[in-house]
Amino acid sequence: MLPRGSEGAYMMYTPDGRLVQVEYAAEAAKYGSPVVAVRGKGFAVMVARTKEPDPLLDPMEKIHMVDENIGIAGAGFTGDIQLLVDQARIEAQRHRLVFEDPIDVKTLVNQLGQFMYQFTRYGNVRPLGASLIVMGSDRIGNHIFQLDTRGLLLSGKALAIGKNSEAAISLLRGEYRPDIGMKDAINLAVKALSSAEDGESPVEVGIAKGMSFKKMCLRDALESKE
Amino acid sequence: MTTIVAIRCVDGVVLASDRRASKGGMIGSKAVKKIYPIDGRKAVAIAGQLSDANYLVNLVKAEAKLMEFNRGFPLTVKEVAKLLSNMLYSGMRNYAPYITELLVAGVDETGPNVFEADISGAVTDEMFTSSGSGSPMAYGVLEASYREGLTVKEGAEIAKRAVRSAMERDPGSGNGVQLMVITEKGSEFLDAGGAA
Repeated sequence: MLPRGSEGAYMMYTPDGRLVQVEYAAEAAKYGSPVVAVRGKGFAVMVARTKEPDPLLDPMEKIHMVDENIGIAGAGFTGDIQLLVDQARIEAQRHRLVFEDPIDVKTLVNQLGQFMYQFTRYGNVRPLGASLIVMGSDRIGNHIFQLDTRGLLLSGKALAIGKNSEAAISLLRGEYRPDIGMKDAINLAVKALSSAEDGESPVEVGIAKGMSFKKMCLRDALESKE
Repeated sequence: MTTIVAIRCVDGVVLASDRRASKGGMIGSKAVKKIYPIDGRKAVAIAGQLSDANYLVNLVKAEAKLMEFNRGFPLTVKEVAKLLSNMLYSGMRNYAPYITELLVAGVDETGPNVFEADISGAVTDEMFTSSGSGSPMAYGVLEASYREGLTVKEGAEIAKRAVRSAMERDPGSGNGVQLMVITEKGSEFLDAGGAA
């Protein structure tokens, strides 16, 4: 039995086969403000609330551009999210250097997953306290992926991360339709987001379609033509 | 020494090569393979140092397969050409160039494509192209016969004729023609008729 407080020095299994540091990190990611993503036919959208506006501060962004076709929103420690976004941007540009084409979403999330996973294998490092939604459009279609602290990769039709994401997921499970249109998808995602966390702060929307990813405010997203 | 040809047609691509390997003034082999499939719908034709070309082709084949496993869909023809060109370029920059020129051809979701990658790592996107010591003669046929809207059936005849013409006048090329046709459905070596 290790002395109390020393379990972070090495990445070690507990006697019942768990990696508690990784579990603690996953717990940290659950406190981040939620992000919801929905995929329809020919598009994918994600929504997230920015921080409460402060008259003294410039607004913070929640959805980050990675390349012209991919965006990321994270829940958890802001610094950890920023590290992952930086890593994603580097991988995207590295791919362009090699192939002269934008990276595809699956390749990028695989690399990010590997990056996160490394922090669960070694002692004296802190697993990243962040979950990500990676969304993008490439030549095989539009994709949403969820990445967590363990490096676990999920993809699907509708995903949610962050605080109270279980509530958002149960709402999505009831109301998602495969033939959903873009405006309905945005409204559904916002509804799911609000079921997870009340808030008045502005909603950012990311839209992936036709080999591009665009970020905009909710009003512009709902007014834009499909 | 060699003649290789690639033509981009409306419904696919055609690759053709001679079968001679030269060892100085001697014919080193009379049945050399110069067209290599990368996957079901892409292939590379090689000219120059056989060992260098084989090494690059094997490497790019492995890399293409790994990438396809990881991302779940195959590489484009351009991506294969870029992988090769990056290796060629670093070879040139490190004073240990790969003495080879490669024609990369195939069909992907953007349609039929032909690229050429040279010893310096330069990649060009071509409608038709030829390489090797016999290419001046092959180009004579290609320039005279190529037109837009060729089918692979017509392209195959032109490619065959281009390589045959080169074999008539280039001592580095000979011993028969090998022909590959790649369409949406896949790739196959076609019988190019008797040895010229």
